[in-house]
Amino acid sequence: MNEAKRHLVTAALIAGLLIAWEVTGQMKLVAGGTLPAISAILSRLVAEFPEYLPHLAETLKTASTGFVIGNVIAVAAACLFCLFPLTERLFRGINITVFTVPPIALAPVLVIAMDGNAARITLAALLVYFPTMTAALTGLQTADPRAIDLVHAYGGGRFKALWLVRIRTALPAVLSGFQIAAPAAVLGAILAEFGSGARWGLGSFLLGSLGRAEPDRLWGIGLTATAISALGYVAAALAAKWVTGENRALGLTVSQVRSEPERGRLHKAVMVVAALVFPFVIWQVLIWMSGLSPIIAKTPYGVFEYLFLGRGAESAQTRLLVALGETVPVTLLGMLVGLLFAFLLSLISFLSPTIMRAILPFALFTQTMPLVALTPLAVLIFGRGLTVTLVITTSVTFFAAFVVLAQGFAMIPKSAFDLVDAYGASVLQKLRLIAIPACGKWIFVAGRLALPKALLGVMIAEWLATGKGLGNLLNQSRGYLDYGMIWTVALVSILLSVALYQLAELAEKLVTGGRSKK
Amino acid sequence: MSISINRRRFLQSAAIGAAALSVPSGITRALAATPLTMQAAWINDAEFCGYFAALDEGYYTDAGLDLTYLPGGPDVIPESTLIAGRADLALTTPDTTIKAIVDQGAPFKIIGAQYQKNPIGIVSLAKAPIKSPEELKGKTLAVPPVNVISVEAMLEINGIDRSEVNIVPYAYDPTPLLKGEIDASLDFTTNVPYTIEQQGEEAYSFLLYDFGYKTYNDTVVVTEETLAEKRDLLVAWMRASRQGWNANFQDPAAYPPKFADTWFKGTGRTVENEIFFNEAQQPLIENPNGIFAMDDAGIDANIETLNRIGIKASKDMFDTSLLAEI
Amino acid sequence: MQGLPLSFNDVSKAFTIKGEALRVIDGMTLECPAGSFTAILGPSGCGKSTLLRLALALEEDDGGSVKVGGDDPVLARRSGAVGVAFQDAALLPWRTVQDNVRLPFEVLGRTPDRKQIGDLIDLVGLKGFEKAKPGELSGGMRQRVAIARSLVTDPRVLLMDEPFGALDLILRRQMNLELQRIWSAKRPTTLLITHGVDEAVYLADRVVVLSPRPARVLADIDIPFERPRGPELLRDPAFHELCDEIGAHLDSGRGDA
Repeated sequence: MNEAKRHLVTAALIAGLLIAWEVTGQMKLVAGGTLPAISAILSRLVAEFPEYLPHLAETLKTASTGFVIGNVIAVAAACLFCLFPLTERLFRGINITVFTVPPIALAPVLVIAMDGNAARITLAALLVYFPTMTAALTGLQTADPRAIDLVHAYGGGRFKALWLVRIRTALPAVLSGFQIAAPAAVLGAILAEFGSGARWGLGSFLLGSLGRAEPDRLWGIGLTATAISALGYVAAALAAKWVTGENRALGLTVSQVRSEPERGRLHKAVMVVAALVFPFVIWQVLIWMSGLSPIIAKTPYGVFEYLFLGRGAESAQTRLLVALGETVPVTLLGMLVGLLFAFLLSLISFLSPTIMRAILPFALFTQTMPLVALTPLAVLIFGRGLTVTLVITTSVTFFAAFVVLAQGFAMIPKSAFDLVDAYGASVLQKLRLIAIPACGKWIFVAGRLALPKALLGVMIAEWLATGKGLGNLLNQSRGYLDYGMIWTVALVSILLSVALYQLAELAEKLVTGGRSKK
Repeated sequence: MSISINRRRFLQSAAIGAAALSVPSGITRALAATPLTMQAAWINDAEFCGYFAALDEGYYTDAGLDLTYLPGGPDVIPESTLIAGRADLALTTPDTTIKAIVDQGAPFKIIGAQYQKNPIGIVSLAKAPIKSPEELKGKTLAVPPVNVISVEAMLEINGIDRSEVNIVPYAYDPTPLLKGEIDASLDFTTNVPYTIEQQGEEAYSFLLYDFGYKTYNDTVVVTEETLAEKRDLLVAWMRASRQGWNANFQDPAAYPPKFADTWFKGTGRTVENEIFFNEAQQPLIENPNGIFAMDDAGIDANIETLNRIGIKASKDMFDTSLLAEI
Repeated sequence: MQGLPLSFNDVSKAFTIKGEALRVIDGMTLECPAGSFTAILGPSGCGKSTLLRLALALEEDDGGSVKVGGDDPVLARRSGAVGVAFQDAALLPWRTVQDNVRLPFEVLGRTPDRKQIGDLIDLVGLKGFEKAKPGELSGGMRQRVAIARSLVTDPRVLLMDEPFGALDLILRRQMNLELQRIWSAKRPTTLLITHGVDEAVYLADRVVVLSPRPARVLADIDIPFERPRGPELLRDPAFHELCDEIGAHLDSGRGDA
């Protein structure tokens, strides 16, 4: 098929999906018409567009500011971690914390600690930081070792290697990070607007519109949010495509056996302890600096006291354990489902870029359509049980994992496929022999991105649909001004996510154990 | 610590300076006015009509106040805003406030109550009405997580076992009620019935208040520190706000259209909805002793209700002395 | 510029793989006088490349000492005295041919010698490809870019790790001729790691045959042929005799592995 033909097929597929949507909406096939027809959504969107404008402008401003700040910090941090691996270990706890802290737990704290606008930008930037940082670091570290050797051979140090080789090598990875970061920034801005009492922004507009029981308005807001995210996503994707072509490895690089300086057990233990303690130190310092009352701003000791020493310690422990018992099993299941879905999707994108290009706009839509607007629909279709939780969790987890996996598939050198093609390999063989092994590292990066998000997905489902577990506990605690429990849930959910993250790393070690590192 | 507070004060005064500069030169009074910040409980809707009226009519300015109005939202816990020093007074739900005083030792005082009767109630469809707590048995009721405590209290007061009602989260959207996925929801009875009627259904609702859950709502709360330092300003605020509410209730349909392009602009709601809201809330707010009134019987009812659900409310949490000074 | 002497004195090196020490080089001593051309032959995986990496200070030795011009290799490379060409071209795929050749200047922080860059690209037969990206070149052409790059700083020590391994025989012969010509003009001290016996004999003053891991010197053979050496040397029976002798050493090494 030539290029024009392929675009035609993509367009036809998208048109087909849209028509299916339209028919479903017109005939009120889904949940008694809760899924509106696309024409109803669009005509209302067009008619009301002047009302959208100030909200759109505000969300764009917040999201793009957060996007820039978050990404600058993320790339700078990745460079620092690459240059001085020690810092990466030290900041590991902080990084995972930033990534895993559920925005629904963070938003109320940000809102009281900062001015409204600063809080909203901060949330957007926080959601942006981790995906870009991880992608950039992986990119920096996977630079061609021969090229690095070459720089060293001419007396260049690690800064020269970073500047001349690593940064440019990492560019496609950084841009794939931006692809995840763009919808994340929009979502962060909308989430913050939704909760923080903002006058303007799509999030505020959504909140006011929720009570109207008019799904076409909610979907209109979701579409608008998707449009801005798509803009960022497509820009990053185009840039990535442009630089990836040149970066494609020229041949399969021979993995080199490198000696790593052997470190003693003591050194390792010290690093582990430091990584564990460092986030708590930062936490304590931030609380001191904020000057907030201990009623709302709990220090690490404050949480310990609340959970073990205070008057209500026993009741708090019981409530927490009950919630954990409800949340943890579902999270484990949700994370598997989410990852599997991402893998299937990236497989489709690998096997048939045409189909993928048609699916992508819809996949992107799930990332930016605020979940709170979709909940009535999700509840009406899937009920309030395990299914709805898994659906919401998958929608939260799959996207980041998918982008990374698809990028991994794209980085496989052409020559590798030519080789097996020569033996008449089938698509499945190509997948098994080349694609899956070659993007092994990316599978684990994807896993690390997806796993902690599974908990967030489950908590959102609990908050909006099922009324169980940690998500519900968190929101009820807000009604009681029970900041001890709010901080406890935030801490426990972070620890849980860190555990899941470590699980992914452990799996990576077990699988790649035989191979050399770096 | 003190540095950050000073910085915040500095930023505040800088913002006030900027605001003062933007005031037309003819109005010199604004420059002399003393700044005061209030934290509302929700986004801009008819619930706060009285304050918008007072702002637009210049009642606060006349009282020597330069009022900053902060809208609320799901993540804004008004009491937290007070503790963080970002507002001088806040409109709160009394159960949260009193629980915070009892459990956390928060230094709050309730100095007035906007809603004499709490407008939260059980809303169902008229074609399958739920007319009393008794009829909730075996039904699915959607409740915002923060209000579960109130519903549990109401059930207990009416002798209904909590486990007989299937309580699920309510996510601000009445669609599941309209589609019959849930049988009833807990919401402001002043608001949701309008939406339901717009969707071609008839609503039935009852107040928790009428079934023994006798609490105020949108209680005016300050910290003890503010009460001591800004007593005059608070009285001035209550006086001006009362003026605003009185003006608003002269004709509940009059003000909402005026706010369409200002206070209510961009909220995503309709002016008709706000008029409905405003009319519905009038009997819940008005009191012969004036807006914000808290008489002994009312306070006792609040205390008794909260005590029944284990929140140890007491009289000293309410301070009626400012009401007397209005 | 004069070449610098290169010396390995009782050098040892082991790697740790899955917690087990793997001795790659065991007490090796090798002197390469200033301006000499030494070729290293040995079976795959015997530690030839490690030797070169030690001279580049890309690996740290576990014992003994490596000196370049009597100094630490780190100092030598920082002064720009060393040129290097690796097994695969190791070109930066986003840079054009001339920008790849220019890279060493950038690393060293020197002003690029544009004439030198142009001349070398010309010398390796890539005139007209200055603006091409590596992706647009064949394997042989890429390797020639790498050769040009290794020579661009006028190195006093030239370290080459199977630089022609990926080339076909004809191209390889051609490159051998060119390298010989360039080397004769500048006379950097050269260490060439190779698999090709005839290539080693043709280019070097001296061929060192290493044993399988851990690497020891099995044979150290002087190559007596006069320079400049032309293509006719390849047809000289004495040349083939010497090649056979060295081949025999290699085979004997394999035997006791």
